[in-house]
Amino acid sequence: MSVQDLSRRSLLRAGVSTAAVAGSAGLLAGCALGDDKSSDNSGNKGTVSEKNPLGVKEDAALEVVVFNGGFGEDYAKAHEAMYKENFPKAEIKHEAVVEISKTLQPRFVDGTPPDVIDNSGAGQIDNGGLVSQNALAELSPLLDAPSLDITGKKVRETLLPGAIETGTFDGKTYILNYAYTVYGLWHSTKLFTDKGWSVPKTWDDHIALCKNIKAAGIAPWTYPGKHPRYMSWPVISTAIKLAGPEVAMAIDNLEPNAWTSDAMKTAADAWYQIVKDKYILDGSAGLDHIQSETEWAKGKVAFVSCGSWLENEIKAVTPAGFNMAVTPTPSLGSGDKLPFEAIRGTAGEPFIVPAKAKNELGGLEYLRTMLSMKGAKDFTGKVSSLTIVSGSADGVQLPPGLTSCVDVLKASGSNGFNWIYNIYYRKLERNLVDAACGEFFGGRSTPAEFLAACQKGADSIASDTTIKKYKRS
Amino acid sequence: MRHGKYPLLLAFLLPPLAIYGYFVVSPYAQTFLVAATDWQGLSPDYNFVGLDNFKRLWHDEYVWNALLHNVWLLLLLPVLTIALSLFLATMLNVGGRGGRGTVRGVRGSGIYKVVYFAPQMLSVSIIGVLWTQIYDPRGGLLNGLLRAVGLDGLAQVWLGDPNFAFWALLAVMVWSNVGFYVVLFGAAMQAVPRDIYEAAALDGAGRTRTLLRITVPLLWDTIQVAWVYLAIIAMDGFAIVQIMTRGGPDFSTDVVGERLYDTSFGESKFGYGSAIGVVMFFLTLSITVLALRVTRRERIELS
Amino acid sequence: MSEAVSTASTRPATRARTRVGRGALVDGTLNVFSHGFLVLWALMTALPLLWAALSAFKSDDEILSDPWGLPSELRWSNFSRAWTHGHIGLYFLNTGIVLLGSLTLTMLLGATAAYALARYEFRGNRLIYFAFVGGMMFPVVLAFVPLFFVVRNAGLLDSLPGLMLVYTAYSLPFTVFFLTAFFRTLPTAVSEAALIDGCGPFRLFFRVMLPMAKPGLISVGIFNFLGHWNQYLLPVVLLKNDDKYVLAQGLAALAVSEGYRGDYSRLFAGLTLAMLPVLVVYAVFQRQVQAGLTAGQMK
Repeated sequence: MSVQDLSRRSLLRAGVSTAAVAGSAGLLAGCALGDDKSSDNSGNKGTVSEKNPLGVKEDAALEVVVFNGGFGEDYAKAHEAMYKENFPKAEIKHEAVVEISKTLQPRFVDGTPPDVIDNSGAGQIDNGGLVSQNALAELSPLLDAPSLDITGKKVRETLLPGAIETGTFDGKTYILNYAYTVYGLWHSTKLFTDKGWSVPKTWDDHIALCKNIKAAGIAPWTYPGKHPRYMSWPVISTAIKLAGPEVAMAIDNLEPNAWTSDAMKTAADAWYQIVKDKYILDGSAGLDHIQSETEWAKGKVAFVSCGSWLENEIKAVTPAGFNMAVTPTPSLGSGDKLPFEAIRGTAGEPFIVPAKAKNELGGLEYLRTMLSMKGAKDFTGKVSSLTIVSGSADGVQLPPGLTSCVDVLKASGSNGFNWIYNIYYRKLERNLVDAACGEFFGGRSTPAEFLAACQKGADSIASDTTIKKYKRS
Repeated sequence: MRHGKYPLLLAFLLPPLAIYGYFVVSPYAQTFLVAATDWQGLSPDYNFVGLDNFKRLWHDEYVWNALLHNVWLLLLLPVLTIALSLFLATMLNVGGRGGRGTVRGVRGSGIYKVVYFAPQMLSVSIIGVLWTQIYDPRGGLLNGLLRAVGLDGLAQVWLGDPNFAFWALLAVMVWSNVGFYVVLFGAAMQAVPRDIYEAAALDGAGRTRTLLRITVPLLWDTIQVAWVYLAIIAMDGFAIVQIMTRGGPDFSTDVVGERLYDTSFGESKFGYGSAIGVVMFFLTLSITVLALRVTRRERIELS
Repeated sequence: MSEAVSTASTRPATRARTRVGRGALVDGTLNVFSHGFLVLWALMTALPLLWAALSAFKSDDEILSDPWGLPSELRWSNFSRAWTHGHIGLYFLNTGIVLLGSLTLTMLLGATAAYALARYEFRGNRLIYFAFVGGMMFPVVLAFVPLFFVVRNAGLLDSLPGLMLVYTAYSLPFTVFFLTAFFRTLPTAVSEAALIDGCGPFRLFFRVMLPMAKPGLISVGIFNFLGHWNQYLLPVVLLKNDDKYVLAQGLAALAVSEGYRGDYSRLFAGLTLAMLPVLVVYAVFQRQVQAGLTAGQMK
């Protein structure tokens, strides 16, 4: 190469001069901030009628973006077809993506978001952030509209109790959590029957069973090391069953020492045993959720902690006759405030309509379609998940896992519990508690250190003045 | 050439300057402006908050933690890469010695160069995805090798364990860069007259001595440029982290670039994220200037 | 090749006979050791790539249970799944379209700017030159946030032409840096002669100088080709619609979505498909590629 004439040093000097030029010239160029070119969606209004209570413009296009995860995308296509039946002139754009945030967050900034979003998955946009920045449409028009096919009832009245609580912030509902999700411990009834094991109802039974399982050459537990927060669910559940729903309330409201309460300590100490006694599958720390669940479906592991999307998520690798079933976390002892049957059931899978959606009313109407009995039954049939529409699972042929969900929910009854700090403060669960769980279940931190790390994370959120806080009671 | 100079200058310089100014210079500059706001990026509302973001940054232990990893990269990546590349380049270019003290490349040096250089062809996403699979605790190449030779005890959850994840990433960065510098140093060595090496060989100087006493001083300028480039890579490091670990587990592989991205696009705190960017800007600048000062050294003139 | 032949006679045993003294012996052992090291590094470089290619033929089960094993059969279907379901085919097409535009634009704008800076004296020459070249110093991630808005304001978000312009802008620093140096080395006598013959400055550039700069253009062209082909960060910020994705980005997305489906064979097949073109180009043009990539940093 005959390139000469240029000293190496000049290259370095150049860095300094660019900085200087950038400082002066750059500020003159078109600025990124504060340019709101958001669409005015008032034009997209049709006439209100009995068939069209929300007043959707009949030929307005509708753009739907769904998270392409455990539920796939076919259910959404079915809902879109139902919408199209009622509004044949509407053109529907459907998209299924994995990384919701990467795909859509810029479109929120841009002021051109789609009309309906299933904002779910590891790459979801922070729902709390969306609410606090007024980026979402309020859902009361939808909730107060008549149901599409349940005559004589408002949409609000067709839902399971507590269904909209998880999407309600300071009294206003912005998020429709559509799927009713049960969180618990999952096992294969076939494996348990073959080996003569029974589901442990107390902590001591659980540990004794783990010992047996390990002796049989099977790992008692595995967890997704890349998303270790899955293991925070049984720990918190155990604490709530011990000391009552106040435990969850304190955590949700970011109360000081909520994570280091006696109940949480007792629960963490108990769960530490599966770490200490090596009841966790080797290498779990490197697995993602699918990988760990696949090990479980192959019969190499007895228990996983998961929500009821599990059955659909690993349908492809589940052997015939596996017969998965969910059970509540074991009781610590007779002093527990809640009975063994109490389980965490909650509305999940957040559907949102952006405030700047071009066809906001169409977005709400789409949600109304989803919340119809027909829409809900179709969903349950397609993806083996319950919905928040009351009675929508009746008469639908359910797979084994979902059947067990229906049963445990019935048994749990009014003892069911939930927490929603993960919705208020996404970062707290997804980053901070997640990291702490990784250290704890990876065997690198003690129960006290684990809870201290969680508390530290909660405190950092509480003291961050740039994050909007919510309270529930 | 004076005649008709300006039409050409305008035609030749304006379009590239316009594109460069609009897409490169102005974004860098605007980072400074956004850094002074509390803008959250999901709506057009924002307030100017002055230096608040920087004050918060000073107390943000996650940023400090990320910065620490950049500093480690800054110390280790150039040293390891340059040492390894120099060693390999020496072997390839002056490693073989002829019967009467002549110095030549080692047998097959051309083929080695082709192979070593290959990772340079691959995009960071290919490298990241490939190595994530290699480090996979069960189906990965690395644990597979360890188990195959009976070293089961050494098999690790490489990217899932905070004790190893950072080093696993560093290894990937070294792996992907070495080939380039082997070729770069090799080309520089070709420019060094053979008789200098041959004289050293006749004086009975071993390879290590020759490397340290002759090669390094003669290649000092090239090494210096290599150092600066590797330092810039180390200050960045964002792409490989984003693909392989996203900063985890337990923030053990977090770097400032990942903080910037996560804060801006993950938590949608664009103001705060930009403040991180401004700090990174000045750090990169200082490191470049520092590198220029520290490595300043008299050149050895040939001829 | 003559190197290879002559070094064949420098095997330790031979040398020990022809040369006497301590140095010879030390050299002999070192050579075995060092050659071993060369081989080791070559294996460390080549094995991962070969492993990815082999795994692309395996079933998911084989990939997970026996990482070092050979595939039991050649499953070409993995590739077709990656090509269609993984959209690798579409990503190839997008990448090709972007490259066509961005490479042409980069070379044209880079060459004209470099020529003006290298061959004309005018006020601000140095400042413009350093402003261009300094762009090489800073990580792209710094400009991420505003870049997004700058591109949005231009109405170029999520568009391949937008990506072409941005690629061009971010390639100008190195291109200008390299070609300015190159144009300065071209002899002035030729251009003076051409001007005397009545050749206008534009004609001079396109008819005389550009052909003369061909070696430099090829080097920097290869550099930019690889840079644009492998670009990952810019499309991640600027392309959100997955039917616009380019290859490097699509592959990373495939790796993420694979996490939800457990289709490892498809991932490896996609990986192999993405690696193949550049490695083939490299195998054919390896001399030019190495020269092109290293030349700019030599000076």
